[in-house]
Amino acid sequence: MERELTPSESLKLIETMIGQAKQSFQRNSFYFMLWGVLLIAAMAVNYLMAANGDPRGSYAWGVVGIIGGIASVVHGAREGKKQLVSSFMDRVMLWLWMGFVATLLISLFGGATAGHGVPVGSIIVLTGLPTFVTGQLLRFRPLIFGGILFWVLGAVAFFVDVQATALLYIIAMVFGYLVPGYLLKRQEDGLRTA
Amino acid sequence: MAFAPLDPLLHNQLRLAIASLLVGVESADFNFLLEKTGATRGNLSVQITKLKEAGYITVKKTFKDNYPNTRCALSAKGLKAFERYVQALKEYLGPDGG
Repeated sequence: MERELTPSESLKLIETMIGQAKQSFQRNSFYFMLWGVLLIAAMAVNYLMAANGDPRGSYAWGVVGIIGGIASVVHGAREGKKQLVSSFMDRVMLWLWMGFVATLLISLFGGATAGHGVPVGSIIVLTGLPTFVTGQLLRFRPLIFGGILFWVLGAVAFFVDVQATALLYIIAMVFGYLVPGYLLKRQEDGLRTA
Repeated sequence: MAFAPLDPLLHNQLRLAIASLLVGVESADFNFLLEKTGATRGNLSVQITKLKEAGYITVKKTFKDNYPNTRCALSAKGLKAFERYVQALKEYLGPDGG
């Protein structure tokens, strides 16, 4: 690797190496599957308990928030140790999702504290943003469609009752998080599915 | 027309490969550079040291699971030099400069 390079060889080498380093090196599927399962469970518990007149179902959100938060941090720390390279794209995605979580928590606590609750439709619409952008960054269609689905179902949720909204939320989570997360895992595992 | 001279520090296959890999990432492990460049450990080590001494890259040595770990990142000076190098290449290869 010590001989003199011609300018065109230099350019070719730069292109090849930049191409090698441009991809995301992180495995992201874990988070979609984890949060998909947890949030569907929380909505199901919340819905069933509310249907039986028990308002304590809303605690389910706090419980899954804590479980998911701890699991995400532990998993992230472990993966981070294994990672040979940290890319800009991984950093963009990290802060995109951190920003999303901050926005979500402020909306949830703000709405709950002020006493008028948070429209679930807004939460679904909001979830579409990081999902769609992640899909575009990874060039992974199931997540792009997942993000669009969040937007569409979130918009519909503004016009339907609480029961139908809960159902829309679960559908959005299954096809926006769970299924794309599973397909992404297969892709990360080296199986071409998307 | 006179061309800007190509930076001799970057105009070397392995050093240019290292800089190009680092342009696209925030930081990279020694083993990542080893795998992507296909260089030998010894040669890679020597070229990393040269780039570090020129202030083009920063090198952090830590321990990961009890093994020494070298992490490299392009510095601001390195990025500038890289951009200048690419600009000079363009002049050599450009439609008027060929």
